[in-house]
Amino acid sequence: MTDTNKNLRTKPYRTPAQKANVRNLIILTFIVIGVCAAYLLINSYPEKPKLFQYVLSLRIPTLIVMLIAAFAIGSASIIFQSIINNRIVTPCLLGMNSMYTLVHTAVVFVVGSGSVIATNSNLSFAIDLVVMAVAATFVYSYMFQKTGNNVLYVLLIGTVLSSFFGSIQSTMIRVMDPNEYDTLLTTLVADFNNVNVEVIAFSLVLLVALTIFLWKDLMLLDVITLGKDQAINLGVDYDRTVRRLLLGVVLCIAVATAMVGPISFLGLIIANLARQLLKTHKHSHLIVGSALMGMLAIIAGQLISQHVFSYAVPISTFITIGGGIYFLYLLLFKKGGI
Amino acid sequence: MNVVDLIKEYDGKAVVNSVSFEIPKGKILSLIGPNGAGKSTVMGMISRLIAKDSGVINFEDKDLSKWKSKELAKKLSILTQHNNIQMKLTVRELVAFGRFPYSGNRLTVEDNEMIDKAIAYMELQEFEDRFIDELSGGQRQRAYIAMVIAQDTEYVLLDEPTNNLDIYHASNMMRTVRRLCDELGKTVILVLHEINYAAFYSDYICAFVDGKIAKFGTVDEVINKEVLSEIYKVDFEIIHIDGKPLSVYY
Repeated sequence: MTDTNKNLRTKPYRTPAQKANVRNLIILTFIVIGVCAAYLLINSYPEKPKLFQYVLSLRIPTLIVMLIAAFAIGSASIIFQSIINNRIVTPCLLGMNSMYTLVHTAVVFVVGSGSVIATNSNLSFAIDLVVMAVAATFVYSYMFQKTGNNVLYVLLIGTVLSSFFGSIQSTMIRVMDPNEYDTLLTTLVADFNNVNVEVIAFSLVLLVALTIFLWKDLMLLDVITLGKDQAINLGVDYDRTVRRLLLGVVLCIAVATAMVGPISFLGLIIANLARQLLKTHKHSHLIVGSALMGMLAIIAGQLISQHVFSYAVPISTFITIGGGIYFLYLLLFKKGGI
Repeated sequence: MNVVDLIKEYDGKAVVNSVSFEIPKGKILSLIGPNGAGKSTVMGMISRLIAKDSGVINFEDKDLSKWKSKELAKKLSILTQHNNIQMKLTVRELVAFGRFPYSGNRLTVEDNEMIDKAIAYMELQEFEDRFIDELSGGQRQRAYIAMVIAQDTEYVLLDEPTNNLDIYHASNMMRTVRRLCDELGKTVILVLHEINYAAFYSDYICAFVDGKIAKFGTVDEVINKEVLSEIYKVDFEIIHIDGKPLSVYY
């Protein structure tokens, strides 16, 4: 870009719809902040400082984990949908989180739960990530290539893959030493009441690094949605960009699954809610919207689960039931879904 | 722009077999031929959408593969038949994508002027804020052409632009193509199935058979009884309207 061109640049032109989107996003941010505050402060006994401190020391890490997971799932889902050019497909529906569970089980199975690789949660997480990144990028890019991004095939293969990974994993568990299985289980069935706080720092660093690393590719997402031919026509190195973005999606899903366990439908719900709220193709808005929706859904769900049902009904139940119904709705009643 | 010894094989079968030709600047060149003759594949290779197996494509004295994709996007645009967009995109937003090679996601004042001009040129002002998926086939095709105009490239490649359009919209499309060449001075390369559109609206025609060039020449050289019968294996009669040859076949 030469200097003369720079001078021509004015403030980016925004249509009324885009302005409305920015406003919606700001409102959504405030709602999320409100819900976060509610999560931290409801029943927190502020009149008893010691107890208050203790409550906060439990809730703050959980809150951070929920925020990170929501961001990872929300952005991964939007990116993934745009790569495949379809809005009812999410990485979780295609078995990416059962793949992560399998990878994690396999690592523990091979090295044994007593070894330093399994006991150091950061190290084991790092190894899981590397294995997952290689395996998933290979499996999924091959799958997209083979099916020519035909959504029905992608969904079908994804469902099969999902139960395939699940079966291998349960086979491993069955032949595993019961003690090993016990240790493994605590890291596998993480949920929102039992989040994996040890990997917070690692995940944060990873997500920030990933965002910086993929920044240029993220800027190309709007063009990627036009399809391969158009993207190339507009001068985008399509294959490379999609490969890099897919890697980012895989790592985001791994982070989310490691922290809060598999929640298949969450990505589907929040990505589509974001698309419904912000009728736009601009990914800068969509990704933020989807992440915020995710935070809202998880934290509000957790609040209800804690204070209305007093932990009797876990939040994943809401998500699965709500998400299942929403998925059917998208499939059956939304025009142009498939 | 010229093409030398272009070859493309699928599963050992040559779809395009040592094809060489020169693309005349500032003219309309139509690629015609029966199904599977390789014309779309040639177009794909010229536009870098399909990788070539061997051969050379020279574009402005430089090998096409040596060009940076982004620089090439300012010189050459391609519109294929497969355009399905799942996203909510207005006509204006689609046309604005034409400016992507120049300014990325941030449009300048100049870009917005170009977009306005392109929309006006295709008479899409009243649809400007409508969503693409709410338009009819003809309107959508016009929106895509507007995007190509906004991209402002010297070379415009169109892969079967009249496909799926009725006679009214198809002939309008062809007139637009003619205007792109005559008024905006663009070099247009088309893949066409409809011989008479090629005969009536183009300057040069390149006819393909079995992955090879059967005949390259001006309209009058290609559109005649002997050549066409040879290519399509069907009997042809040629009539002249407005001094241009039109073919009748049955």
